[in-house]
Amino acid sequence: MIRLQNVYKDYGGRPALVNVNLHIGVGEFAFLVGPSGAGKSTVMRLLYREEKPTSGQVFIGGIDITRLDRAQVPLLRRRLGIVFQDYKLLPKQTVFDNVAYILRALGVERMEVSRRVRSALTVVNLEDKEDAYPDELSGGEQQRVGIARAIVNGPPVLLADEPTGNLDPVASLEIVQLLERISQRGTTVFISTHDQFIVNSLRKRVVSLKAGQVAGDVDSGVYEMETIG
Amino acid sequence: MRQLRILSGVVVETMQGLKQGGWSNWLVVSILVIALTIFGGVLQLTMTLKSVVAAWGSQLVISAYLKDGDDPRSVARTVSQLPDVKLVEIVPRDVAWQEMQASFKVASLANPLPNTLHIQLTRPEAVEKTALCLRAMDGIEHVRYPLAVARNLNRFRQFLEATGVAVTAALTAATLMVIGNTIQLVIQSRMREIEIQSLMGVSPWYIKGPLVLQGAAYGLVSALVATSLIWAGRVYVEACVAGQLVGFLPLAGQQFGYGMLPTFLVLLVLGVSVGAGGSAWTSGRYVKI
Ligand SMILES: Nc1ncnc2c1ncn2[C@@H]1O[C@H](COP(=O)(O)OP(=O)(O)O)[C@@H](O)[C@H]1O
Ligand SMILES: [Mg+2]
Repeated sequence: MIRLQNVYKDYGGRPALVNVNLHIGVGEFAFLVGPSGAGKSTVMRLLYREEKPTSGQVFIGGIDITRLDRAQVPLLRRRLGIVFQDYKLLPKQTVFDNVAYILRALGVERMEVSRRVRSALTVVNLEDKEDAYPDELSGGEQQRVGIARAIVNGPPVLLADEPTGNLDPVASLEIVQLLERISQRGTTVFISTHDQFIVNSLRKRVVSLKAGQVAGDVDSGVYEMETIG
Repeated sequence: MRQLRILSGVVVETMQGLKQGGWSNWLVVSILVIALTIFGGVLQLTMTLKSVVAAWGSQLVISAYLKDGDDPRSVARTVSQLPDVKLVEIVPRDVAWQEMQASFKVASLANPLPNTLHIQLTRPEAVEKTALCLRAMDGIEHVRYPLAVARNLNRFRQFLEATGVAVTAALTAATLMVIGNTIQLVIQSRMREIEIQSLMGVSPWYIKGPLVLQGAAYGLVSALVATSLIWAGRVYVEACVAGQLVGFLPLAGQQFGYGMLPTFLVLLVLGVSVGAGGSAWTSGRYVKI
């Protein structure tokens, strides 16, 4: 479902990714771990085409997305659910409207919008908050809205870049368990994080990055922070 | 249906953009109204003058105003001897005055009008020459003929057109700048929203469409206001001019207006293109998605 092939990425001559090769199968659940600055967000941005690699190829569902032209990028992103560390909710819109936004922009019929939004909100356990505004919710709830928005259009792939970065351990665990439940419905889930606790509590596949290179890739793995000094 | 729903979504977003615009909406509309009113006013005037010039330029009539005390009949007889004169009609000052009093409410003054001859000629080339002859004649105080007026009007029209185009161009440039600024402010206040929309896979045109539509809305409103102003101005001017032209030229009563509907359509097209074009350009520059 997701494949990076000989991917190099420089930012103004400074390498951020060096010869990254990676494959994540359909329906798989995987973590991308590594210390801050290792290149996790860069991998994610390549996957949703916010960046292009300096060289190499990036495939989603068999399509080389480095070759998509600008007009096709929205089509790619509609097939991806993306979850962000800072949630990226529309502050002036209710929970319902946030989740409904993409469906309305695609011209989905009203009843169908309601149905799908409610179903997504049920998955994240926020049925009773649909009229709330983001700033009335806790961080964990806001992130669940972000997840509901990501899955509302039924994407085959869900990408999450440090989804628990702003959350306490309890809320973090809730979020990853929610993402795991989503993956059990067949969605490919790829989560970047440097949160040892959530990685270790799930025992899933762990791909680790170090200074832009893949330093490890193990099934049911754990993530051990390097101790410095 | 799907397209319709998407369109209604764009319209809703446009409304929100206008709401956010606040006072700058009025700034844009005011300057656009000024630009369009001047353009439309010049358009009306030049089109009117054009048709007046065309109608009067082909007229074969000369009006000769006679000196007080001279017998209009004897002057008329002399005039009718001139070559190319087809017909001479005497309009005695009493008759002209009565007509004027009948059509307009004029205070009962002493009759200020002279006796007048309306002289019909056989061919247009003779108008100027005959006018010269008449001017030299003893009993005639003053000569007027449409061709001369038409010529002056035409010169005036050309001047009006040139200045009108220049002023409109300058104002259009100013309008584009103000619209650009306004839309840029909207974009800035929405940067994060636009980024989120783009990450969700919302089409660029669904994001930019509301901005362009906002510009078009400015154009529509401004065209409506400008047309109303021009219409009001025209009613006022017509009332004044009608009074002044009576007894001056035989064609005074005729209607020479350029229709208000075509005027509105021209202003609408201009206003909407300036509005939508300005914001399309700005959003193309500042919305990188
Ligand atoms: N837009 C950017 N411009 C320049 N350098 C960047 C940019 N984004 C990331 N980098 C650099 O690339 C490296 C990897 O960054 P990032 O992918 O954000 O790492 P992580 O998400 O693992 O913390 C870092 O050295 C970072 O400074
Ligand atoms: Mg990061």
